[in-house]
Amino acid sequence: MQTQRILSIKSPLGPPVEILKHTFSAQSNKPRVSFVAGLHGDELEGLYICHKLIRYLKELEISNPEAIKGQINIYPAVNPQALENATRLWPFFSLDVNRTFGSGQIDSLAVETSQILLQDLKSSSEIVIDFHSSNLQLMELPQIRIIKDFEKKLLPLAKNCNVDLIWIHPNAEIFASTLAFNLNKAKTPALVIETGICHRIYPNAGDQIFNGMLNLLHETGTLNIKLDSVKEPKLVQSDQVKMVQAYHSGLFIKQVAVGKFLEEGERLGKLIDPIEGSVLKEIVSPCSGLLFTLREHPLVHKGSPLARIVETLRKK
Amino acid sequence: MKEKILTLPTPYGENLELYKNVWGKAGESLSIVSGLQGDHLNGLFLNSQLTQFLDRVIEGLDPHYTLTGQVQTFPVVNINAVQSGTRLWPLDGMDMDLAFPGNSQGETTEAIAYMILEHTQDSFWGLILTSAPPHYEDAPHIQVYKSNNSVKKMCRDLKIETVRKQKEYSTQKVNLFHHWQEQEISSVMISAGSPRTINLQQCENLFQGILNFMKAEGILKDHRKKDSENKGKTRIYQPDEEVLVKTSTAGIFVTEVKVGSYLKQGQKIGEVRDIYSGKKLEELISSEDGLLITLRQYPIVYEKEPVAIVLKAKNSWREYFPWNR
Repeated sequence: MQTQRILSIKSPLGPPVEILKHTFSAQSNKPRVSFVAGLHGDELEGLYICHKLIRYLKELEISNPEAIKGQINIYPAVNPQALENATRLWPFFSLDVNRTFGSGQIDSLAVETSQILLQDLKSSSEIVIDFHSSNLQLMELPQIRIIKDFEKKLLPLAKNCNVDLIWIHPNAEIFASTLAFNLNKAKTPALVIETGICHRIYPNAGDQIFNGMLNLLHETGTLNIKLDSVKEPKLVQSDQVKMVQAYHSGLFIKQVAVGKFLEEGERLGKLIDPIEGSVLKEIVSPCSGLLFTLREHPLVHKGSPLARIVETLRKK
Repeated sequence: MKEKILTLPTPYGENLELYKNVWGKAGESLSIVSGLQGDHLNGLFLNSQLTQFLDRVIEGLDPHYTLTGQVQTFPVVNINAVQSGTRLWPLDGMDMDLAFPGNSQGETTEAIAYMILEHTQDSFWGLILTSAPPHYEDAPHIQVYKSNNSVKKMCRDLKIETVRKQKEYSTQKVNLFHHWQEQEISSVMISAGSPRTINLQQCENLFQGILNFMKAEGILKDHRKKDSENKGKTRIYQPDEEVLVKTSTAGIFVTEVKVGSYLKQGQKIGEVRDIYSGKKLEELISSEDGLLITLRQYPIVYEKEPVAIVLKAKNSWREYFPWNR
């Protein structure tokens, strides 16, 4: 393993802020695959997966170095300031680094950092995997989200990743400044893997995706290893996704867990009024299908998302 | 005339309420929005001054003026951020100016954004009042994406000399300003001061500028037969006329100049000192003659951080064309 500092910035109190890149390399024409974690400093699942990948590849370098057929780059902590503070945003400016990758951004240290990362990834990767967890509010089943415009290139790769579902959705203006969008726009395929919730690590989900990453490396010819088969992901189009929103503000008390197959009308939880002591509404599933997103933070305002379900149509 | 335009229940008590102020019923309308970021307080204060003034005009307490057009102000958009003393929506760190066009059925920030756009999309003119980004201070100036004749006239009538033409950037399509431009509302953003502070002198100057604008556009009539002043010279700076001054060390930045001042090439802007030893690590100087439009306010700096933006003083070739004068 070779380690390189792609960015080093002097800090006011001494130790520099650095972004590290670990490379496991073999000379070949196999695709170079890069893994990125920690763009949001409170999303830790990706760090766990990178830890597992680094550990595995280090052992492989000793036990079976011939198995490494191509170049693998791991960027385990690309927003070190935010990770240090366990905050989603770049702490000094409350800036979402994953909204600074497009053109014409206002000059700042965060923007300079994101541009260096983008250029480094573009110059050293044929495939990029960007690990994310959800925000403070929602728990997500392991999934890959693909913008419809990039479906043709990304879907074959995504199927190798051992996720529960692949959600193909339309483009939205806000994506234009994200890392993955800008890589895909530059013709470097980039998959966004989303799992769990911020501030937490769920080793089962992390292990599942770790196995998926090994499978992806195997399928692309970058690693030559024996593997168990991975799960077939559910392909989901946007019109199959039913969102349940809070009709009123209150506290949401969940009564199910993500990954459950729900029947139409099955209870998801209840919305309560903490001040008056009343139950405002029993929240039920509007359809039958796979529950893949669930509200974890109980505090909700009117319109807040409570759940997302992949609707499964029953044959009559 | 305070009007409630949105009521949303909250989990713990009183409803969240979004307000606008409206004056006048006839004629083309001007919308003025402030408080998109919860820490941009100059705009809030300026809007409160305008409210006080327009209330007096409508109530007949100011004998010099009659309102002949329509004005509506939205003093606070990011309600919970203002209440919490933060820039962003506190619950989820949402930047309100990345929530447009919004969604009437969506989360609170989306519902607010939707309602602001709904109430402003038929305006003829629009002003968005902002301050500098966190840790910086701006000299009062206008920001635009396009510099057509209508925008140039607005700038002159607002009596603001400095206009920065902004680069188009990837998130602008979810900004309020972008949606106003799409609706062909003659609009500009006015930036002045720094977050979390009110600069009374800047607010007073901008207040007089907005009054002059309202007179020039026929929204406000001055019975003293005083014409609006529109002879002010406005200079539009292109993105390539901006010079960034960046640190090459880290420590405490001590400045020696004031934002809004004209700098000479080679003039010292400030220096960076080591926090532990107090020793000078570097001097930061202006590489050009020009206007210091933005200056670092918060003294702790990292390496490679911009501490100043200077707008180059030399005349652009564009200025020699008669239609740009």
